[in-house]
Amino acid sequence: MSVSSRIVLLPLVALVASAPARATVYLSIEDAQQAMFGAAAMTAQPLTLDAIQMKAIEKASGVPVRGSLVRVWRAADGGWFLVDAVIGKSELITYAIGLDADGRVKQVEVLEYRESHGGEIRYPGWRKQFVNKKAGDELRVGDDIQGISGATLSCEHVTDGIRRLLATWALVLKPLA
Amino acid sequence: MPLNPPTVLSRKLPGKFTLAVSAAMLAALSLPAMAATQQEVLEQKVDALAKQLEALQAELKALKAERAEAAAAPAAAAPAATAAADPSAQPTRQDARAAAEHKEAFLSGYGEVNFSRYDHDASRTEATVRRAVFGIGYRFNDSTSFVSEFETENTVVSAEDGGEFEVEQFYIDHRFNDYLSTKVGLILIPIGYLNTAHEPTRYFGVERNNVETRIIPSTEREGGISLYGRTPFGLSYDVGLTTSFNLSNWDYASPEGAYSPLGSIHGELANSRASDLAQYVSLNYDGITGVNFGGSVFTGEVGQNQNVGVTASPRFTLWETHARYTQGPLQLQTLYAHGGFSDTAALNLANAGALTPIPKAYFGWLVQGAYRVWRAGDYALTPFLRYERFNTGSDYAGQPPGFGAVDRPTETAYTYGTSFFITPNLVLKADYQQYRRAKEDNRFNLGVGLQFY
Repeated sequence: MSVSSRIVLLPLVALVASAPARATVYLSIEDAQQAMFGAAAMTAQPLTLDAIQMKAIEKASGVPVRGSLVRVWRAADGGWFLVDAVIGKSELITYAIGLDADGRVKQVEVLEYRESHGGEIRYPGWRKQFVNKKAGDELRVGDDIQGISGATLSCEHVTDGIRRLLATWALVLKPLA
Repeated sequence: MPLNPPTVLSRKLPGKFTLAVSAAMLAALSLPAMAATQQEVLEQKVDALAKQLEALQAELKALKAERAEAAAAPAAAAPAATAAADPSAQPTRQDARAAAEHKEAFLSGYGEVNFSRYDHDASRTEATVRRAVFGIGYRFNDSTSFVSEFETENTVVSAEDGGEFEVEQFYIDHRFNDYLSTKVGLILIPIGYLNTAHEPTRYFGVERNNVETRIIPSTEREGGISLYGRTPFGLSYDVGLTTSFNLSNWDYASPEGAYSPLGSIHGELANSRASDLAQYVSLNYDGITGVNFGGSVFTGEVGQNQNVGVTASPRFTLWETHARYTQGPLQLQTLYAHGGFSDTAALNLANAGALTPIPKAYFGWLVQGAYRVWRAGDYALTPFLRYERFNTGSDYAGQPPGFGAVDRPTETAYTYGTSFFITPNLVLKADYQQYRRAKEDNRFNLGVGLQFY
């Protein structure tokens, strides 16, 4: 893009003021940690699952485990912070969950969303449904989690992802703590 | 995500450019000062330089933010001071898989195989691949993609067979930001529930409901442009300018217009007449979890300069309002749709006595309840009940005296049955449909439906 056309575009960019260069990134990992754990120090505790653990998580959650690495942080207050990604319809949704020391969900944040449709999962009301959920809870759309018309797939896949993360916590992280 | 060098280079350009501009500004500022004292000149220069420095600082800050944002995108580049020693910051198998799934071209599909056994006429009993639909999409970049859907109905399309091949969707989708996206091409009109969510796993009953087939002619699509998006508090919108219907295709002698008034004259962007356009507005609210409600209006002139024999400009209008409540295994849904054509009196008079005049008004509504009674893993059994009232011609303009009223009676339909989900995307269905007036249509249906993406 030429310099002059960049200049010409500036007012347009200002007009669509809410459009940063990458409109789909809502929160950085740091921001999400701050939102969930305030100033508490966060220590990265990345986890590599072995084949037996992966099988066990699949069995407990009913969700396929597709990667052996789990991005985990431990908060100074004993809580946990996990970052994960699922496919919405055809694009990745990156999200984070915060757990308290007992493994109950404190908060769910969508970090990155790429699809035009289904972004309704960012509505606070929808994400609030997960608060206080723990491993072993149903965590299924149409059970204890309500879906959103027009965002069915995104809702189902994020719910599945959280169920998988909670099983990961119960089977692997909790015994480590 | 690594910044590629050309991008970095081009981002530096504005800085150089602004420097050049500032030099020019400086020179301009200096001109009147030539007559003044040397100190004044210097002060002005310093002021200008300070301003320029501020501008550069702001620009640098913006660039830094942009780079930080880019670095944060692959999820774990620099979460904290621990980042350097953090193996989770490295690409993982999960990332590799994610990258592989973040593909440029994508394939999707859905379809249904149906069987219907009519109570009163065994000769009408039939089995068919009602729909086989394949979607091909392509992602041009992070914010722009192409979406298409190709559909065959009833398997075989030939001179002797009744099947259809259709391009159901074919558009470019571009996302400006969280609140605004656009679609351009052959698009679905966002009216009611079924028109945009028409995969067999998304609705109850083997056949689509009457109201959203006959009053709202699902799957209703037009060529045009849509602007859509959502607000942070739960309201989403979609407004569009599209091609319209062509009233010169109205067949006064065919029962088709009495079955589905708009469905009998839709253009489907197959060399559609496009001198008259249509507009729509659709709003939905999803801010309360488990609750959705909304409505839409779709209207446009339908004369298309086809010299249909009237001086007035006939117009169609279709509006609807809908609500859905889900709580645990319970799902309740209702929808009311109303349509009509204006300025049709002269046309109907000119075709007095014909089988199917053009309706001034038609409507339909439904209530539906479903309750998932059993689930084990992905398996689920969900019985449902639907009650519909609809009338494809409740009022007509231009009825000549002596021909009697042609207004149609309102039909009532009950559909009850069950969906058995093997996974959320694979369903077996069975239901029974009962019509109060058209008893010959009473039937038992079986179906299998699937969706993948």
